[in-house]
Amino acid sequence: MMIQIEMNGELRQIELTQGEAEGQYHASIDGEALIDVAARMLRPGVLSLHMNGKAYRCVLEESAEGTAIHLAGKRLLYRVDDPRSLKSRRSRHGGAEGPKSVTAPMPGRVVRVLAQVGDTIAAQQGVVVIEAMKMQNELRSPKAGKVVQLRAAAGDTVAAGDVLAVIE
Amino acid sequence: MSKVRTTIRKILIANRGEIALRILRACRELGIATVAVYSDADRAAPHVLEADEAYRLGPAAAAESYLRGDLILDAARRAGVQAIHPGYGFLSENAGFAEACECAGVKFIGPPASAMRALGSKTRARQAADAAGMPRTPGSVKGLASLEEAYAVAAEIGYPVMLKAAAGGGGKGMRAIFSKDDLSVAFSAAASEAERAFGSGEVYLEKLIERPRHIEIQILADEHGNCVSLGERECSVQRRHQKVIEEAPSAVIDEDLRRQMGDAAVRLAKSAGYANAGTVEFLVDEDRNFYFLEMNTRLQVEHPVTELVTGLDLVHLQIRIAQGEPLPFAQEDIQLRGHAMECRIYAEDPDNGFLPSPGKITRLLQPGGPGIREDSGIYEGWVVPLDYDPMLSKLIAFAPTRDAAIARLLRALDEYVIGGIRSNLGLFRRVLNDADFKAARIDTGYLDRLLAVNAEASAPAENADAAALIGAAIFESLRPANGNGRSESASGRNGGTIQINGWKQAARREGLRS
Repeated sequence: MMIQIEMNGELRQIELTQGEAEGQYHASIDGEALIDVAARMLRPGVLSLHMNGKAYRCVLEESAEGTAIHLAGKRLLYRVDDPRSLKSRRSRHGGAEGPKSVTAPMPGRVVRVLAQVGDTIAAQQGVVVIEAMKMQNELRSPKAGKVVQLRAAAGDTVAAGDVLAVIE
Repeated sequence: MSKVRTTIRKILIANRGEIALRILRACRELGIATVAVYSDADRAAPHVLEADEAYRLGPAAAAESYLRGDLILDAARRAGVQAIHPGYGFLSENAGFAEACECAGVKFIGPPASAMRALGSKTRARQAADAAGMPRTPGSVKGLASLEEAYAVAAEIGYPVMLKAAAGGGGKGMRAIFSKDDLSVAFSAAASEAERAFGSGEVYLEKLIERPRHIEIQILADEHGNCVSLGERECSVQRRHQKVIEEAPSAVIDEDLRRQMGDAAVRLAKSAGYANAGTVEFLVDEDRNFYFLEMNTRLQVEHPVTELVTGLDLVHLQIRIAQGEPLPFAQEDIQLRGHAMECRIYAEDPDNGFLPSPGKITRLLQPGGPGIREDSGIYEGWVVPLDYDPMLSKLIAFAPTRDAAIARLLRALDEYVIGGIRSNLGLFRRVLNDADFKAARIDTGYLDRLLAVNAEASAPAENADAAALIGAAIFESLRPANGNGRSESASGRNGGTIQINGWKQAARREGLRS
């Protein structure tokens, strides 16, 4: 099977074929020479990998942030490529025009709301203060404009990525 | 102070997380029954699982649970304990709670309330330091009554100065002031910050020591007037006044300076009628002059490094002292051996402004092996609550030398994986590999300066890169066709061999992932 993986900002193609013995694979990265791989899953998310005369411990991590593989003391986030989600991810960052949202960078509790719907605010002006683990964070407006939506009230619990306000 | 020997058979641990577990373990070793208390966020916490009895306090918020002395004393009565161990934080330095315990006939494992009061406020502690004849930073020993007084004190000691909250801790209500023009704004800001954080706006001024090291002395006092010092810990690696790495001994303290600082700490403790474990904190300047900073009237987070170099168990000793036993050793019996270093592992994201990262730990591989001790309060599947301190665990290495301790920690960090939430494990790799840290060229500003420089992205070696890609591809190929979870067979439950059940549908499912 062919799997496209985006890791370290690069899109790579991995061709994986099963060998005859259990856990044996032939792998090729970006169409290059075949590598013989012996794999053994020790327990969920922990894989022992033998290839090119070396042994590796691969640990899989899944979280709200995405999927990552831990190997040799490094944490490498990766994504199985899906053209549509790539596109949507890139469009989120582009363009200074149009409505912009204030999102929670971490799970937490809303401590204070510093603006009201209809307020005109400056870029980088504080909109909402959230708190987690005894640390308060003031979330600021990404642009100058008018507050058109507020989806947070003091005392609310929010998840990472929740839209708390929209500025137009 | 009670001089009567009592036998403690059951202890309530008024804390949570790694310290609750650490105290619980000490109790088990001494044959003492344990009582845990917990908030709703901690029903599934390890300290609740391991205790002999457990009592619910209330909702998640600390103010409604771990800070409710009345509820804790209720639980203590119901369980019939002889003593309460407060751990650190929460009620550990609350003199009112210590008194309430005494009134309820329950021994508070810590100093008497009078000693906590005499040493708990920074201004009163500075007065006590003067009385004990120990050096402190120049400045005021009382709260500043007005801005005019602040100007006068600052002019007398000379800029730069530090403005600090008398009731302070953790850097709150603290300001460095480099010139007269900045004093007025800082004065009102620090006072209101202190008022909000500690319920007291009392602030005082002291001379700012440039590039200080933070070095503290552990003391132990019994209830019969004996007090010893157990050497120093260096805690100069701090981020925003929060300790990150601690070690014992300090690279800049020799036998002579250790004795001077230890004697000063013991004098201070004795002058206040101190009992049980305590820590006297000092700043040490570039010329190795030491200045009294404050006293912490409780067990410290970083106590394990002292345990490793002295061979003592501080929690055992705390309990024995609370039973009215005399210290089982004298000052000359204390011998330091080897080097210990501790990393405070936090649920925070070093790549993203150190934002807190509460949530579910989906993967956990903890290190072990020679010279590694880990005091942790987590497990795979534990949901780290957002209501408390972000500390997950303390990873501690012990080795004959400082270099060997660093190598050991680096080895353990490579074994360590925390998945699902972000942690600062990567930060320790960076610090422990840094040339200045390795040479012990550290002061309290060291880490902030290191973090101001962008980490050079070290690309993984070619082979590891290929291994990561192939490993990821194998994990992906084994995903079940439906849902996001991994099926039992795909996760390798069949005698460790790999079952390929998601194989054929994988391509179709990939198209559906977003």
